[in-house]
Amino acid sequence: MGAVLSAGGRLFVGVVVGAATAVAELAFLGWAALVALIELIRGRHPAGIERPARHLVEVERWRIAAFLPGGGAVDALDDYTERRAVAYLGIRWLVGMLGGFVALLFLYGLGTGAVWARDLFVGRSSTLLVVAQVVGGLVLLFLAVQGFLGVAALDRWLAGRLLVPGDRARYERRISELAASRAGVVAAVDAERRRIERDLHDGVQQRLVALGLLLGQARRGTDRARSDEFVRQAHDEAREILAELRDVAWRAYPADLDSLGLAEALSRVAERGGVPVAVDCPVDRLPSAVETAAYFVVSEAVTNAAKHAPDSRVTVAVARMDQGVRVTVTDNGPGGADPSGGGLSGLARRAAALDGSLTVDSPPGGPTTVTAVLPCA
Amino acid sequence: MRVILAEDSVLLRAGLARLLTDEGHEVVAEVGDAPALLAAVAADQPDVVVADVRMPPTHRDDGLRAAVEIRDRWPAVGVLVLSQYVERRYAVELLTTRSDGVGYLLKDRVAEVGEFLDALDRVAAGRAAFDPEVVRQLLARTSHTDPLRRLTPREAEVLDRMAQGHTNAGIAAQLHVSQSAVEKHVNAIFDKLGLSHTTGYSRRVLAVLHYLGS
Repeated sequence: MGAVLSAGGRLFVGVVVGAATAVAELAFLGWAALVALIELIRGRHPAGIERPARHLVEVERWRIAAFLPGGGAVDALDDYTERRAVAYLGIRWLVGMLGGFVALLFLYGLGTGAVWARDLFVGRSSTLLVVAQVVGGLVLLFLAVQGFLGVAALDRWLAGRLLVPGDRARYERRISELAASRAGVVAAVDAERRRIERDLHDGVQQRLVALGLLLGQARRGTDRARSDEFVRQAHDEAREILAELRDVAWRAYPADLDSLGLAEALSRVAERGGVPVAVDCPVDRLPSAVETAAYFVVSEAVTNAAKHAPDSRVTVAVARMDQGVRVTVTDNGPGGADPSGGGLSGLARRAAALDGSLTVDSPPGGPTTVTAVLPCA
Repeated sequence: MRVILAEDSVLLRAGLARLLTDEGHEVVAEVGDAPALLAAVAADQPDVVVADVRMPPTHRDDGLRAAVEIRDRWPAVGVLVLSQYVERRYAVELLTTRSDGVGYLLKDRVAEVGEFLDALDRVAAGRAAFDPEVVRQLLARTSHTDPLRRLTPREAEVLDRMAQGHTNAGIAAQLHVSQSAVEKHVNAIFDKLGLSHTTGYSRRVLAVLHYLGS
């Protein structure tokens, strides 16, 4: 009984508040029509009415969520256009007025009921009259409740219809998201290739030329001891080139990731990081694309920390969530990392391609936290 | 001879410096980027500059830009450019002002120590030195569209050697023919390519490579 009364009370308040906002909306519409007319006469786009329209719509969304729950879609979405907001207000005031009318009838009914009750107490009523009044009152109460419910349903329906984007709008938004992330992937792949080319050209290739130079000198020399010395240096050089080539290949793609999984590959990153890195990765195998993205987030963030904050300590945490994983890399360095820099923006694009996100929090003075949320489809 | 080395790979630079020193040349300065190269040449002009194309600051063609500027400002300084790839544009740019005292070698060529030192000598002496691979690729890219196709195989061989910077005498020795036979081929080449008869070894290279680069 208490629950029914409380729900009824909320419904009543919601409808009454809705009637009050309808008055405000009517006033707004009158003002907006005037402004639009003046701006059109001046040949300008009426821009000033959009912000107040949005504010009024936000009040309506709050009212519906607080007093008339049940239309879940209305709570979640706030990316309606300004044009839709104005259109919504243009119709919504009618519903509000209707609600006000129902509320007035209800109050009138309550007043009448009170008068009849007084008559009963002072003995001015007969049994037949009371029966007739109770039956009629119940019928009217039923109608009033139906009216309230109807107005609430109408309010929710209207908001859902005009404020929640339709299928087409949602598809269009998704398509533009996909197009952006696809372009991002292409850019990220290109940037990655450029980096590998740079690694190969500036590292391995130069060393090979130097190796060739040493061997060329060894062959040219007439002094046996000197030639032997060149060959010995060439031998050392060949060993170092191999080590560097292994490094370049590892940076291009860590082979351990496929065979041993993320935790193992991350511990290798920690070993090679150049700064102290603590890894907490209590997750099993994830989809390959997610593991790769998580790996590169950690690898890049650790490399950045080692480069810009060589004295810092790094903490890596990989945690399972409902629909994916959260990767967090924190260093206690001086902060001030630029999220639009090459490495970090490449990671953001990689995360976006998986419908994930990458955030960089790096206030001056530190600490720097890179967080990637990666859904596992 | 006095040499300035410009190469951003420390290892390779040290190797080249040691090679040149061993060969009795004097390495006046070793630098790792294009601005430093220009500053070093401005301070003390060497006989020849050896410059990598790809160097800091932009890691694109900074070395080539510096080489072109050096040829403009200090005509007496020979410039030998080392490149990782064959770029027709680079060869053409190097030759747009003059073609004497200029060279363009693939970097791999330094392993052929003898060829490299020979090219360096030629550039320092005010002649030209072009990598056989550079010339081969330039010829291959243009031959399908133009009068080069009308050259006989022998003439093409002569043009190839010519573009590398060899003298008629050198070409004659390489191809085991007489020098007058080479001169005959050269004149035939000029005729077929529609070039005016000019004397002077370097202007031939200029003409040929201009033609190839067009």
